[in-house]
Amino acid sequence: MAVPGVDTSDETLAGRAAAGDEPAFEALVIRYQARVFRLARRLTGEDGDAQDALQDAFLQVHRHLPSFRGEARFSTWLYRIATNAALMLRRARARRPAESLEEFLPRFDGEGRHAATPAELRAPCRVEETLDRQLLAERARAGIDLLPDLYREAFVLRDLEELSTADVAEVLGVEPAAVRQRVHRARLMLRGYLGALTGVKP
Amino acid sequence: MTDVACASGVELLMEYLEGTLAADVRTDLESHVAGCPRCTAFVASYRETPRILREASAVTMPPDLEESLLRFLRSRRNR
Repeated sequence: MAVPGVDTSDETLAGRAAAGDEPAFEALVIRYQARVFRLARRLTGEDGDAQDALQDAFLQVHRHLPSFRGEARFSTWLYRIATNAALMLRRARARRPAESLEEFLPRFDGEGRHAATPAELRAPCRVEETLDRQLLAERARAGIDLLPDLYREAFVLRDLEELSTADVAEVLGVEPAAVRQRVHRARLMLRGYLGALTGVKP
Repeated sequence: MTDVACASGVELLMEYLEGTLAADVRTDLESHVAGCPRCTAFVASYRETPRILREASAVTMPPDLEESLLRFLRSRRNR
């Protein structure tokens, strides 16, 4: 059996894999494993959970491929399975964050004007100069971890994995307007959080 | 022209960047931000936040995991 090439579409490979063509299935695994791992790592915040989610996701893909009818694109379907696998592992850990990101939301005076100065408001842009790479990576993971679940999954898919809003809506099974609302709230919280890392109060 | 306050402008930023705002609302927002140093600074940091976190949270899949994933999946399929 020929090894499927890089120019073979996902949907063609998925069709062959559903019919029992194992090299086609493995070609899909190889094509997507790094992206699924990165997604799972960002959603769970842990290497071990990301690895488990990666395995769970591809096992489920293999099991359910025969019922994949192609109403959605293969990648959207895979992201949905992988997102759910990561969330299951996260919930199994059942760790409730003691902190909240609410305190990092922007503040306004009585007339709706920004309470902070322009320099303070620009502080998040300086976080890469203030913190070294490794510390920033740790703090970024902690910040993403503190987001409410609904905001985290929307933010990770839209802003970190860079799916379109329409694709995120399909993956999560919600309206695009809900995706935009959740991503917006996540950006506001994390923006203030980054600013606080530079020593500036929100 | 309606007067946009910073607080209401902030709530429109996602829609603004996604291009889903009505044209007149978009124009009002742009003229407010252009004349407001605080909003100019806020918008800059709001736009940068996804990129900063994307780069800071980028991880590479460990190479040994690639091999062990295929081994694992083969072992489960052959059971």
